Amino acid sequence: MKFTRVLAAGATVLASAVALAACGSSSSSNSSSLAKQTINWEESAEIPTMDLSKATDVTSFNQLNNVMEGLYRLGKDSKVEPGLATKTTVSKDGKTWIFTLRKNAKWSNGDPVTAKDFVYSWRRTINPKTASQYAYLFEGIHNATKISAGKASVNSLGIKAEGNYKLVVTLDKRIPYFKLLMGFPLFFPQQEKAVEKYGSKYGTASKYMVYDGPFKQTGWTGSNLSWSLKKNPDYWDKKHVKLNTINYSVQKTPSTAYNLYQAGKIDAVALDASETKNLKNQKGFTLRPGASTFYLQYNEAKNKNLKNANLRRAISLAINRKAVTSALGGANKPASSLTAAGLTKVEGQDFATKAKDTQYSKYDPAEAKKLYKKALKELGVKSISLTILSDDTDAGEKTTETLQSEIEENLKGIKISVQNLPFKTRLSRSTSGNFDIVVSGWGADFADPISFDDLFTTNNPNNNGKWKNSEYDKLIAASKTTSNNEERYNDLVKAEKILLKDQGITPLYYQTTAWLIRPNIKGVIYNPAGANYNFKEAYVSSSK
Amino acid sequence: MAKYLLKRILYMILTLFVVATATFFLMKLMPGSPYANEAKMTPTQLKIMNEQYGLNKPVWLQYLIYIGGMLHGNFGTSFQYSNQPVSSLIASRLGASCQLGLQALILGVVLGVIIGAIAAMRQGTWVDSTATVFAIIGKSVPNFVLAVLLQYYIGLKLGWFPIAGWGQFSETILPTIALAVGPLAETARFIRTSMVDTLSSDYIELGKAKGLSRIEVIRKHAMRNSVIPLVTLIGPYAVALMTGSMVIENIFNIPGIGEQFVKSILTNDYPTIMGITMVYCIGLVIVLLITDIVYGLIDPRIRLAGNED
Repeated sequence: MKFTRVLAAGATVLASAVALAACGSSSSSNSSSLAKQTINWEESAEIPTMDLSKATDVTSFNQLNNVMEGLYRLGKDSKVEPGLATKTTVSKDGKTWIFTLRKNAKWSNGDPVTAKDFVYSWRRTINPKTASQYAYLFEGIHNATKISAGKASVNSLGIKAEGNYKLVVTLDKRIPYFKLLMGFPLFFPQQEKAVEKYGSKYGTASKYMVYDGPFKQTGWTGSNLSWSLKKNPDYWDKKHVKLNTINYSVQKTPSTAYNLYQAGKIDAVALDASETKNLKNQKGFTLRPGASTFYLQYNEAKNKNLKNANLRRAISLAINRKAVTSALGGANKPASSLTAAGLTKVEGQDFATKAKDTQYSKYDPAEAKKLYKKALKELGVKSISLTILSDDTDAGEKTTETLQSEIEENLKGIKISVQNLPFKTRLSRSTSGNFDIVVSGWGADFADPISFDDLFTTNNPNNNGKWKNSEYDKLIAASKTTSNNEERYNDLVKAEKILLKDQGITPLYYQTTAWLIRPNIKGVIYNPAGANYNFKEAYVSSSK
Repeated sequence: MAKYLLKRILYMILTLFVVATATFFLMKLMPGSPYANEAKMTPTQLKIMNEQYGLNKPVWLQYLIYIGGMLHGNFGTSFQYSNQPVSSLIASRLGASCQLGLQALILGVVLGVIIGAIAAMRQGTWVDSTATVFAIIGKSVPNFVLAVLLQYYIGLKLGWFPIAGWGQFSETILPTIALAVGPLAETARFIRTSMVDTLSSDYIELGKAKGLSRIEVIRKHAMRNSVIPLVTLIGPYAVALMTGSMVIENIFNIPGIGEQFVKSILTNDYPTIMGITMVYCIGLVIVLLITDIVYGLIDPRIRLAGNED
């Protein structure tokens, strides 16, 4: 048995050496991809569905964002760019939106795209029978919440078509990020005729779809690992679409993907931890921020000790976040705010930088010791034992191991145990409040800090630790009613600072992935939140 | 024989029923819901979703509904792939795994028998030791390590075969080799041991004394007796190989069933878990039956229906 293990270990080392050796050479793509305007892209998983009412995952949203189009498209830095809407008017109270649609937009079956397609699509998504897992993003649109709970008729949704090219949307309350939502595939139109025609097959394969975006999909049969996007000749703005073909393949093993990159078979690969380290000086190395922050939640409802702010602050100050990110490897960045870095810019500055906490969300072991002593005194206890819960993934285990050693080393006498469970089990423990401290992650659906800051209001179901602060609640509520953008962001910054001063949560790291992308591919737009990729104006250039 | 078969088939159906029942209730003990976006959904939304999918009903009722559907050939709809029937998901994924498994089994067993036989015939020589060392390495090196090595050196550096992918025969070669090494090593060790035993028995001596050539003794007498125990080994191997290997499928980008099974468990995709479990189970009971029949055919001493005499 021992011998077997030694052999296995030896072989593993050998394999790693091979993987490292592989990092030396590289071959470039051929010139024919320039003439053909073809690129070969990777996805990390299969497409679960092309039905936009049912999509829940990055792969589907990336596809939908390129084969479909809504009122707007999201450009660089999530900037709203024209899509099907040529003119937008908003009422003074911000509750009525009137969109004028372009008349030259067509579905891939030749029919025009009209306001009715939007009405149909939204009603279909919000209908409880459709069982959309993203229906909550409709909250704030007139009657949406009631309809999705089955308490009002689908036709009472605040959307109507006036003629073929005028769309009127009524909101129950102002939604400051409404335009951003309109650039998210969930709010794109769907043609009733096509949905009815394909029935239960709609969106289960390329051929059971109609498209109105820059590209059309071919070759996806339901659960296969490769397919293509082809330039859509019916697209209204086809003159700005330069790529003829995007070939996709699903890559689940980073070393395979990198081998294929070196062989010139694919043009973009996501890198794993060791590849990130070895390839960071290579041309084409690109960092992709993920709109996700990982943080600790403290269960104040179950564990009395964790109600003590100084204990939470001491734990935060005892954690060297760089030790966490280096244990994880890859391109993750230490976090000092709740909102993910790179999510959105306010007046030219990253919101996360504005909201950053410099007092407690950092590494300061001396201060940590002081606050820990203070906390013990306040609580009248001699020592404290806590369990940190996380996923049983490689990243989850590395995180808890590092946290345990950092906290126990810097706070003498504290006892930290760790528990790593499968995702679904971990999640159900988090939501039912069965934990002391849990490592949680949150990814934003759209590029606005509210998608993070909303989480820790008193009654939010995702506030698993039950941290409470009335001032925080007030600021979040105020940010939702004001029509002044500057005021709104100020409220959100203030709120986030309150949360972090109190260490209601402890930010750990922002998820970032490194990619290697062929340098002659230009014009690809990547946004961290929502649908990541927009290939509308991407092209293969002759220069590298 | 017919009576025996009928009895066996009845037992098989009973086995399948027991497996289906046990899997269903165990599966329902797993925490969480089958929804991909569960983390972001509120309890109210979860409730609405559960009503839509009938997951709010008591587990025993869900069980009866599921078994009822299954008897009508309806395995339900996948949660991971919205609106895709589990049967078509399995159908589109099983083919690749079956082909790959079968190729690996044939390659592994044939080479294994040859190497094992040669080692036994040259017992104690350098040939035997080399074969033994290879068998140990083959058994102990995980197949994914070999897969990575093959992919890098033969696929990328030498460019003899495609690095990854599925569709052409050339793309199946590297994964077949990676998968075949395990059964090859096992078969070789097994055949060597049982052949060494057989070669020292009296009837082999008799054969030699009769003046049969070495090759004829091996072919006519030693091999047939040594291969019998192998049949026991091949059955389960065939099922294991043909139902897919998640790691090999992922390394070579093969659209197989192995990875889907693991993913369905991790995501609580109940209908897919049940569907694939039943396919595995049906495969296994059929293979076991065939194994028993084959036993009787190659070894006349084994009677299928012992009580008929």
